[in-house]
Amino acid sequence: MKAYILKRILSVIPVLLVVAVVVFFIIHLTPGDPAAVILGPEATQQDVEQLRENLGLNLPIYEQFVTWFFNVLRGDLGWSIYMNKPVLNAFFDQLGPTFSLAILSQAIAILIAIPMGIIAASRRGTYLDRLVMSFSLFGVSVPNFLLALLLVLIFAVHFSLLPVAGYQPLSAGVFEHVRYLILPAIALGAIQAALISRVTRSSMLEVLHSNYVKTAVAKGAKESVVVIKHALKNAFIPILTVIGQTFGQLIAGAVVIETVFNIPGIGQLIINAITRRDFEVVQGSILLIATFYVVINLVVDLMYGLIDPRVRLNRK
Amino acid sequence: MNKRFMMSSFLILSAMTVAACADPEPENAVTGTNEQGDEETPVTTEETENSVSLAWNSQPPTLDPHVTNTNVVRDLARPIFEQLVTFDVSYEPIPMLADSFEENEDGSEITFYLREGVLFHNDEEMTADDVVASMEKWQSGGAPAAAMGDSTWEEIDEYTVKLHVDEPSISVMYTLADVTQAAAIMPKEIIDSAGSTGVEQYIGTGPFQVEDWVYDSYIQFSKFDDYQSLDGEPNGLGGKKEALVDDLFVYFVADDSTRTNGIITGEYDYAFQLPQDSYDQLEGADGIVNDVWPFGFQTLVFNKEGIFGDQSLRSAVNYGLNNEDLLALAFTDETFYEMEPAYMRPEQTSWYTQAGEEHYDVYDLEQAEQLLDEAGYSGEEITILTSEDYSYHYNSAIITQQALEDFGMNATLDATDWATLLERRDQKEGWDIFFTQFTTVATPLSYPFLHSENEYAGWTNNEEIDRHLDGIRYADSQDEATELFEDLQQIIWEDLPVINVGMVNFISSYSDDIDGYSEFMGPIFWNMSIEE
Repeated sequence: MKAYILKRILSVIPVLLVVAVVVFFIIHLTPGDPAAVILGPEATQQDVEQLRENLGLNLPIYEQFVTWFFNVLRGDLGWSIYMNKPVLNAFFDQLGPTFSLAILSQAIAILIAIPMGIIAASRRGTYLDRLVMSFSLFGVSVPNFLLALLLVLIFAVHFSLLPVAGYQPLSAGVFEHVRYLILPAIALGAIQAALISRVTRSSMLEVLHSNYVKTAVAKGAKESVVVIKHALKNAFIPILTVIGQTFGQLIAGAVVIETVFNIPGIGQLIINAITRRDFEVVQGSILLIATFYVVINLVVDLMYGLIDPRVRLNRK
Repeated sequence: MNKRFMMSSFLILSAMTVAACADPEPENAVTGTNEQGDEETPVTTEETENSVSLAWNSQPPTLDPHVTNTNVVRDLARPIFEQLVTFDVSYEPIPMLADSFEENEDGSEITFYLREGVLFHNDEEMTADDVVASMEKWQSGGAPAAAMGDSTWEEIDEYTVKLHVDEPSISVMYTLADVTQAAAIMPKEIIDSAGSTGVEQYIGTGPFQVEDWVYDSYIQFSKFDDYQSLDGEPNGLGGKKEALVDDLFVYFVADDSTRTNGIITGEYDYAFQLPQDSYDQLEGADGIVNDVWPFGFQTLVFNKEGIFGDQSLRSAVNYGLNNEDLLALAFTDETFYEMEPAYMRPEQTSWYTQAGEEHYDVYDLEQAEQLLDEAGYSGEEITILTSEDYSYHYNSAIITQQALEDFGMNATLDATDWATLLERRDQKEGWDIFFTQFTTVATPLSYPFLHSENEYAGWTNNEEIDRHLDGIRYADSQDEATELFEDLQQIIWEDLPVINVGMVNFISSYSDDIDGYSEFMGPIFWNMSIEE
């Protein structure tokens, strides 16, 4: 098992290396000059050139890459020329809202999707199944920004039940924290709920037709015991996989949702950094997100063994 | 193994949860993002009944107005910093931090007598060495450097400074009072520690001080209790200034619909620059006041280093463009534009002129086609550089593309984001037209697109324009300058380095609980209170 974990950790290195190179060159080869953004639209070329020189943006691109790359190896992700602080600080300052949003979205998605998937599978072909699958199709089809605007229109503008936008940290109280996050969490979690419910349904269907489930039913076990104890446990590996994968997607989806709901998270950080060409913030943030993504996948992989001992045995 | 693994997983999940629940604000306070750099100052993040929440469309790159000419810095640095002189309601310079000033006969020396007892936000008194350090930093780059040349500042005594003007000009006092890239006065020690992107602590003498800046979230300005207001009535940006609210929370809300919904539902007390196509919705909303305010003029800029180096082709575009249609489609409602050929606003009585109006809004397709023939145009591609980041610029570009095609030009759109546009427009190749807006300025000398020395995108290299601008700069009297500007505006309309499509207005909205809000060259948040 230790060898397996070590191998998986080592396999992360080339992935992050590729991400670092690709992100660096994409953002640097995209036109747009941070000096021009800072100085404003009426700045003369001479002033822009002077600031570029002062900020070290006139150095050859390969030189900038080598400097940045070796700094990254030392744990220094760079400096935000716009915020005037280390990228690592900028990232972790804004990580809290994104994590809160992602966790709440995931919780909503799981709480809705798994029961829906189980009901759809155990009532296959009925109107309940069709209803659940229609909701699922809606969740997959509707872009989250559109759903976000609809939710705002209904619950914030029309009924004035929830705030239009903004963020309150946990220190303002759990109620306030959740009140501000609930609409964005639903908008962000809808697609996850749809995906998880579909996977739950198909995985459960497969298991419900297996011989050991039929045996349990024949032995007179209660339906709830058969479904939860025998079927769900064995159907859970694909569900866990999609939960892990979609958690990574939540971080990506947060980019749009945070903009619509004005949440000061990682999504806002990256969008703003791209807009103002704060190169090292973009590079550092994407590298950290990629790291997070592969770590999540690694954790999910390792958790297979906990849920299904057969996986662990195969690895041995 | 199972237990160890479960324990590890539990720890990872716990760490994630703790990270998720982390409150970014206290962390910022600890790590010192409080812009005052005063870690003992408690960072208040909670709004009180006497605080105002403002939704802004963008975040400033800095609050140091010396560094940048962006409007967001102009507007958000205004509550913090003050200048030696500022503008009255007629756009004329009046004393602010200076008690008075006097010029010698030839205008080569201007002596400023400073107000005594004016405190900075760090409780130190403003004296002459702060003023000299501030002015030297201010005029070290950008438009101030071009306007002030090699002028020098001398400390005469603790409360007197003398400006030795490089080349005496009527524009000097206007430049010192200008709101864009403002000549803000800061403490000398703050100036001495400034880097290439400006000062790192924002300490001025204004009625509000920076309490906190949480990047990508908000800036909190708090009332400066020791502010020394001038007596008398408020007058433009001068006169009596009082902070009547405890705090201003400026939230950065880039999304237009979020700002609009936020002001309608009462989430914010003030929303800056709302989309013009929300006008009907805002007009129908209860509990808010809509403020339509003049911004400047919508401008089509030609690249004179390309095919539009030929004046006949520029003139063809001027004839081929229906200004009113363009403004109506780009700005959605006639509330938001004025058909106006002037480059200075009617309220600017020293400068306002209608000279050249015979060349304004002269929609005539036949004339446009004839000019194309005369210029020998043979279907070369015309690239209109634009950005979807600003719908009015993008819509203006689409309408212009259609208009150009209507009279025989082969026009294409090249849409990028705004940052890309800013870089590409500085290259002499790859584009022919772009749209921008120029805000109201105190003198025509402040327009960057006119003088060849500025090398502004589009490259207006017209000796006659340069000569007139120099003439205005060094005019012996305002009357002489006014006359020269009348000629200059005529020349601009004949030569067409740019096309002034028309004056444009924007809309901001605020809660009807707010009293005393006003707008002059940007929003004003002093002398503004909240109804009990």
